[in-house]
This record gives sequence, C-alpha cells and structure tokens, in this order.
Amino acid sequence: MTVTVNGREQPVVPGETVESLLEGLGLGAKYALVERNGEPVERERYGDTALADGDTLVVARPVAGG
Amino acid sequence: MNDALVIGGRELRSRLITGTGKYSSPEVMRDSVIASECELVTVAVGRIDLDSVGEVITDYLPEGVTLLPNTAGSATAEEAVRIARLARAGGLPDWIKLEVIPDPRYLLPDPIGTLEAAEQLVAEGFTVLPYVLPDPVLQKRLESVGCAAVMPLASPIGSGRGLKLRHAIEIMIEQAEVPVIVDAGLGAPSQAAECLEMGADGVLVNTAIARADDPAAMANAFRLAVEAGRSARLAGLIEERETAEPSSPLGGLATRS
Repeated sequence: MTVTVNGREQPVVPGETVESLLEGLGLGAKYALVERNGEPVERERYGDTALADGDTLVVARPVAGG
Repeated sequence: MNDALVIGGRELRSRLITGTGKYSSPEVMRDSVIASECELVTVAVGRIDLDSVGEVITDYLPEGVTLLPNTAGSATAEEAVRIARLARAGGLPDWIKLEVIPDPRYLLPDPIGTLEAAEQLVAEGFTVLPYVLPDPVLQKRLESVGCAAVMPLASPIGSGRGLKLRHAIEIMIEQAEVPVIVDAGLGAPSQAAECLEMGADGVLVNTAIARADDPAAMANAFRLAVEAGRSARLAGLIEERETAEPSSPLGGLATRS
C-alpha cells in the first residue's frame, strides 16, 4: 500500500503507524508535527495511529522564523 | 520589586522576545538567544524536506526558553488555524503568534482574517498573540475575543525603520487591557528603548539582531536597551518643553539690574 507524504508517494507495509513511518523517514518523533488527511495527529497517538492505503500526510516541524 | 510582564497568566522576567530567523547559522542563533536573556523565542512551522532532513532548530535553543510558534506563511485565517492546531497536536506550546499575511511586499497583516482566526483559536484554548497593524479599534476587538496580548508593528517586518507608527501605538498603550508588544521593524536598540519608554510592555526583535555584524553582541545591546527603556518608563520621564529651563543658576558673578 502507498501513502503520500509531503507530496511524495511512499510505500508502507500493513500495520505501519505514524510513529514507525517517522522512524523510517529518519525523523524520529522529536518535534515532528503530523497532519493526516487534513487533521492534526496528537503526539500521544503517533504510536497507535495506523496508516491506511491512500492516506495523505503532511510532516512538519519548527523552523527558523520571527 | 517584581516588574514581571504577565501574558496569559505567565510571568516573564524579560520584556524582549527574539525570533530565530535569518541567522547565518544555528550556532550564531543560539549564542544570540543566550545573550538576549529572553525567555520566549519565536519559531515558524514548515514542511520537512524529506530529501534533506537536516537539523532541527529547536536542538540549538538553550535550556529554559519557551517556544512561541507563529503562523507564518498563512494568507488566510483558515491556514493560520491549521498551523496552530498542527503545532499544538505535535507537542509545541499552545501559545501562538498569530500572523495572517496576504501581502508579500509589505508583509502587512489582514485585520479581518486575524480577528477571525483569533476568535477561533481562543475558543479552542490557545493563548493567542496576534500580529497587527497598530489599530486601536482592532485592538479592542482582539481583546474582547480573548487575546492574551496584541503585537502591533512599528514598521514593516525586517525594514529596520523603527517606530514609524508611534502615534497609533501610543493610543493602543493608553487603552490597553492586555500587554502591547511592539513587533517588527525595529532596527536599533534605541528604538526598542523608545518603545519601552513610551509604555509598550515589550518588544519582539529578529532581523536587527540576526543580521548585525555581531548578532550576539547586538542581542546584548537590545537586552540592555529594553531594560533601560523599561526603567525609564517606571522612573517617569519629564515633560517636553518649548523653551529652556536652566539647570544652573543664571546669575553667575555678573551684576545685572
């Protein structure tokens, strides 16, 4: 199955969660902010939010700004 | 004497807030934040480039500073609300510097979109600090929907032109029920001091520090200026006069009749 992360298609295995996806992307969970299908995902739920085929994710984080 | 700045029920010792943008490196940013002795620092929220994950700016911030996420990049109220929700869900503080900026040339905020987003975010439990044009009527509207502070611009972001909109900000200070933090356009520590002298509760500075030849030294200079301006405000400035008032006896030794 496939999800879209920041506009890029990403193959994922069944059972993949937000947390394991972040790990696979080399992000860890530290200050990774995640939106799934337009809804923000609570940090406490990263580990038990399972991804579904066709999900669209936005992964963001704090960046320099004023 | 306790002269803390209280925003949203939280006491801040420093009346200087700094941004994290435009530094030549994250190390320089870190040194400047330390030199500024500020407690709140702003960050933006951006998509991660998955091909170049790189470093996280927050890893460079010293212990004890609190992040103030902003909604930069939002041209509409909806976009700003989306960023705030994403930031809070992901573990950032529920304080938000609200920016709704449709205009790329002068980066002036949309007052109507800002008010709409502020009302929504306050209802969702955020502590909202909106970035606004110095508009005393808008200030009252933002206070009435529950904003924790208002942040009027001194002049356009990054312009370094100082307090071009001083008179309107003075009106805001006079009628303020929540802190007035002058944000944007300050180019020199003297301008920050001027803000505090006229009664602003604090200032937010980014470009003037980040783009200085020696950012950490400039951060220290702004720290001193903010402290000086606040001290002067509390000490009570003299009234301006049209004519001179001698500081020494005028008579000298001459005999005048």
